Amino acid sequence: MAENMQLLMSGIGTALMPVNFITAIVGLALGIIVGVLPGLGGANGVAILIPLTVAMDPVAGIILLASIYWGALYGGGITAILFNIPGEPWSVAVTFDGYPLANKGEPGKALVLSFLAHSVGAVIGVILLSFFAPIIAAFALMFGPSEVFAVMMLTFSAFVGLGGKDAVKSCVSIFIGFLLACVGMDIVTGEMRMTFGSIDLMAGFDFIIAVIGLFGLGEILLTVEEGLKIEGKAGKISLKDVKDGFVIICKEWKALVLGVGIGAWMGLKPGGATPASFMAYGFAKQGAKNKDEFGKGAYAGIIAPEAATHSAGTSAALPMITLGIPGSPTMAVIMGGLMIFGLIPGPMLFKEHATFVWAFIGSCWVGNILGLFIVMAFAPLFAAILRVRFAIIMPIIVYVCAIGAYAVNNRMIDIYYMIVFGVFGYLFKKLDYPIAPMVLALVLGGMAESALRQSLLMSGGNPGVLIGLKINEAGRLEISWLCLLIMIAAFIIFFWPSISGFLEKRKKASA
Amino acid sequence: MRKANVGLAVFFLALGALCLYDSVRIGFRWLPVTGPGPGFLPFYLALGCVVGSALIILREFKKEDKGLPLIPEGGLGPILWVLIPSTVMLMIVPIFGLHAAALIYIAFYMKVVGKIEVYKCALISILFPVSLYIIFDKVFLIPLPSGILGDYLFGPVGKLYDVIF
Repeated sequence: MAENMQLLMSGIGTALMPVNFITAIVGLALGIIVGVLPGLGGANGVAILIPLTVAMDPVAGIILLASIYWGALYGGGITAILFNIPGEPWSVAVTFDGYPLANKGEPGKALVLSFLAHSVGAVIGVILLSFFAPIIAAFALMFGPSEVFAVMMLTFSAFVGLGGKDAVKSCVSIFIGFLLACVGMDIVTGEMRMTFGSIDLMAGFDFIIAVIGLFGLGEILLTVEEGLKIEGKAGKISLKDVKDGFVIICKEWKALVLGVGIGAWMGLKPGGATPASFMAYGFAKQGAKNKDEFGKGAYAGIIAPEAATHSAGTSAALPMITLGIPGSPTMAVIMGGLMIFGLIPGPMLFKEHATFVWAFIGSCWVGNILGLFIVMAFAPLFAAILRVRFAIIMPIIVYVCAIGAYAVNNRMIDIYYMIVFGVFGYLFKKLDYPIAPMVLALVLGGMAESALRQSLLMSGGNPGVLIGLKINEAGRLEISWLCLLIMIAAFIIFFWPSISGFLEKRKKASA
Repeated sequence: MRKANVGLAVFFLALGALCLYDSVRIGFRWLPVTGPGPGFLPFYLALGCVVGSALIILREFKKEDKGLPLIPEGGLGPILWVLIPSTVMLMIVPIFGLHAAALIYIAFYMKVVGKIEVYKCALISILFPVSLYIIFDKVFLIPLPSGILGDYLFGPVGKLYDVIF
């Protein structure tokens, strides 16, 4: 513990070095701009900048990418509150009460509440990261291929059972993601899979392209379809607002704790910031005494979803850095950035690149706290960006997305893929297919497949190994309890909607 | 919404069937040395995809309610105004290069869709590609497609940058 504390301090020290500190400020400012603009989200903001970080030092590179995410988390709320336009999918929930409160003549207070909730969520997420990451990483060193595969199953069943979307559509979305990951050369046999003789398909699909298309272009199509009308409040924050904000947030501690708790859970399990914010809003409303206030500017209706958003965002780094399983789509892109530096996230990262990992964790502290001061001070400035007409912003976003898509692999075909993914992103959103599990399947496809094949090879083709049952050379049954337990948990979570429905029915029948 | 739902599901069904065919072709069975064949995982994924999309189609036909149309009235226009010019921009990249194509695209969209004054269009549509050209091609040395004419169009900017720094 003491050793980890020391490592954390040196990590924070690295993050405070002038180069890294300035990088964090630049990243945060870019992130807030990305967060404010509809159509340019955290995931594709990070994706577009990945090529630029290749030329940088890995520590500064990862600080830049992560800071963009923290900035986008903070920034999404600004326009949601002032203009009723969510700059990010995760700030949709805050429009329900944030905009009414701003409309009542208290825009400053609404912003302060949102920012404070964000910072509390962030700090809790980073505390989780700092203190649990080393423990989980040490634990994960015991994982064999079948355990890794079981953890993957747990991840994806969480999307199906707890994602809140249609189960069949979630499954199809996951299958498509995995299938896309399979396109190209098979790593074991060298055989070409699903390329149908096309040279372009041999290189497969890069998930960063998918992210830029699905989240970037898809989001733009949704925005223009709805039409953008900007009528909003000026977002000046006075010192009195800050003081009032502190008092209110202390009074509404229940909503804060609820939001942070749900956020941390959704970041770890994984789910991401967007479902976390909706869930937190729903629970805060259900549990509140003054339900009628919700939708008219209730303080808890701002605090809960905002705290959940940021705590989900920061705690999503925990499974990413310890297990190699990103807790949110944006974390997946940041993980892609790490891999470009040759740093493969997972338990070994802690052993082999300890200074790097702790510099990253240190920068999470610095970036999130710095972010609070930047948004507090410059919120009106960032909000003014949205007053620029969308006819100017839109083509520039498409242009920047195209640059990002091209620069990942220097291939023109990737820009065409981006357009196709954009159309699918729009269709997925409209027809209620979840996008996040598909992106995660595309990211984790290779890892899941090799874990599956390794475990099957080890057992000589006996599928029992996948649930932890193995027959050893003496013909005796060996049970890996860890794998079995994870698989049972995955199974329960997958069927959770049916199970909880059944339990409720029995409860009603007995009552 | 029903038509769109069924349409997308049929597409996924066809995609799944195609992958199913391919994974059977490359072999999904157990191989003596390498264990599971190259088509092993894709086979089951494609199977799941086919079954899942078939379920979605069946469910849609069971529903009484057809639901709202996929694109609300007046929504298709703006969407096509984004998609078509963006596609055209990509078509002309091999000729003009990415930055010059974007210059044309930004100017076109601002003028035709946004109906913004000519001098503003000119200023913004030149400023952004030039600054992004300098950031990517010059500062970070990430060459973006220059097409046939790109080097002629942006060459002077690059030379100017080299002279200054």
